[in-house]
Amino acid sequence: MPAVSHLQSTRTAYPDDIGVEVSNVTKSFGGDESRVTVLNGVSLTIKKGEFVSLIGPSGCGKSTLLKLVAGLSEANGGSVSINGKSVREAAKDKAIGLVPQSPALLPWRTILDNVSLPISINPGANAGRKLRDPREILQSFGLGHALDRYPAQLSGGMQQRAAIARAFVFDPEILLMDEPFSALDEMNRDQQRMGLLDFWQSNRKSVLFVTHSVPEAIILSDRIVLMASHPGRIAEIIDVDLPRPRNEALYATDAFRDLEGYVRSALRKVMEAARV
Amino acid sequence: MSDTVATAPRRNSSGFTVARIVFDWGPPALTFVIVAVLWQLVAINNPYVLPTLDAIGNSLASDPGMYWANLLVTCQEVVIGAGAGIICGFLLAVAMSELPIVEKAVMPLIVVIMVTPVVAIAPALVVAFGFGMLPKYIVTGLVVFFPMLVNSLAGLRDVDQKALDVFKTLHASRWEIFRDLRLPGCMPFVFAGLRIAMPLAVVGAAVAEFVAAGQQAGLGSLVTIAAAQANLPVTWASIALLCLLGVLLVSLLALLRKRLLWWSDEDVIGR
Ligand SMILES: Nc1ncnc2c1ncn2[C@@H]1O[C@H](COP(=O)(O)OP(=O)(O)O)[C@@H](O)[C@H]1O
Ligand SMILES: [Mg+2]
Repeated sequence: MPAVSHLQSTRTAYPDDIGVEVSNVTKSFGGDESRVTVLNGVSLTIKKGEFVSLIGPSGCGKSTLLKLVAGLSEANGGSVSINGKSVREAAKDKAIGLVPQSPALLPWRTILDNVSLPISINPGANAGRKLRDPREILQSFGLGHALDRYPAQLSGGMQQRAAIARAFVFDPEILLMDEPFSALDEMNRDQQRMGLLDFWQSNRKSVLFVTHSVPEAIILSDRIVLMASHPGRIAEIIDVDLPRPRNEALYATDAFRDLEGYVRSALRKVMEAARV
Repeated sequence: MSDTVATAPRRNSSGFTVARIVFDWGPPALTFVIVAVLWQLVAINNPYVLPTLDAIGNSLASDPGMYWANLLVTCQEVVIGAGAGIICGFLLAVAMSELPIVEKAVMPLIVVIMVTPVVAIAPALVVAFGFGMLPKYIVTGLVVFFPMLVNSLAGLRDVDQKALDVFKTLHASRWEIFRDLRLPGCMPFVFAGLRIAMPLAVVGAAVAEFVAAGQQAGLGSLVTIAAAQANLPVTWASIALLCLLGVLLVSLLALLRKRLLWWSDEDVIGR
């Protein structure tokens, strides 16, 4: 595992510093006449151990981009690579951890068995990687008391936390999360957000995190990718130069508020441009 | 992290009070009593329409061995015939969901067979396979085959797309997706299919015996023969046993479902 602590200072990327590379990707849906271009010329690099958020108006193609990186759909043009390999190869190596919008836990398995699932699936790819102990990871996500419970017995926030633990347990190189907290109420959402922040800060992985919350994007990310719609494209990439490790106290700082104001106005500009 | 379990099972403190028992069992018991009284009234005044309940009871008590032997034959038809139909229906559903070419190939035939009344096939099967048990197995099997096929197929298709995405990013094999996602996920649908199939299996077995009454065994045969002799107590005693068999199968199924599929009932934990 390469050290990742230098990432804030050095932005000059050596090739093996790159986790995800999306270059000039185009994606459209529909047949000849009803063809809609959802992504147009999207290029984006996520360094190893970097946390990148995707934010933008709904329907601008955030989930579509995430699915391309996850290998769940194919681009019409351009390319996506993970650690220099194709997405397919990366999936074979179990390099991708996915946290969908809903927890998508298997209701017939206990929380422990749900989180153990990625270890038992595609076991050929387990060789030479440092798998985590599912019990330990659940413990660190505050679910140590719920190992033998079933998903339906847990609150939405706890289910989502288990889904995140499931994505971390097999130590993938890159984590993809599509609005994982959007179904939770505000109190709960902030708690889960901090849980993820804590865990990630001590287990740095490349993360592509889709969100529609500006504060969430700021507190978690190294960079925020602002997308515009029709067609979906990158409008602006905003560096979040706030010190790490971070915690709730950051919300109250001037630096945070200034950046929040900036991101909000950038987002507003993108939305207004779409309306004209 | 201070959040607690969202839906803890609530203790039902009034679970065993007399009021509770009366409330739960009173209304259905009352319905049965009313039906029984009406039945007796009709039976006493019209002895050629219905036998009295005590006549049915006497008939059962006077020759339990005969009824038991016939019940066993019908049970055998249900277990073997319906068992085979259930397994075949489920396996074909698996083949159809995993291999689109299979679905394309057999779906038209299945639609044709499905609209053919099995009752009409039964005499033809007797001609083909004789008066033995085989045509009865086939009819019973055919009757349960379609609800099993249709429900299993729906269940195998009704997979949680988000969970499927997780499996795909892990590069799960088709076998792993089937074993860990589709198969357990389709079980609620399979049980819905079984719930339809079980009563149908009894119908199928009885109908097969009506047509192929040659072997003269089984409750369906007994109904046909007794009715031909205008022996109403035996006729209705046999019908009652067929009914009992159906109730038994459905209850066993409900019990099994409760044990295996408690996780699929939304209200099971919160109630
Ligand atoms: N499978 C699909 N077929 C057709 N259109 C799609 C499909 N998936 C997404 N889209 C369209 O692509 C656009 C972007 O969708 P999505 O990536 O889900 O947006 P976001 O996640 O940013 O809200 C939407 O207009 C949506 O209707
Ligand atoms: Mg989306």
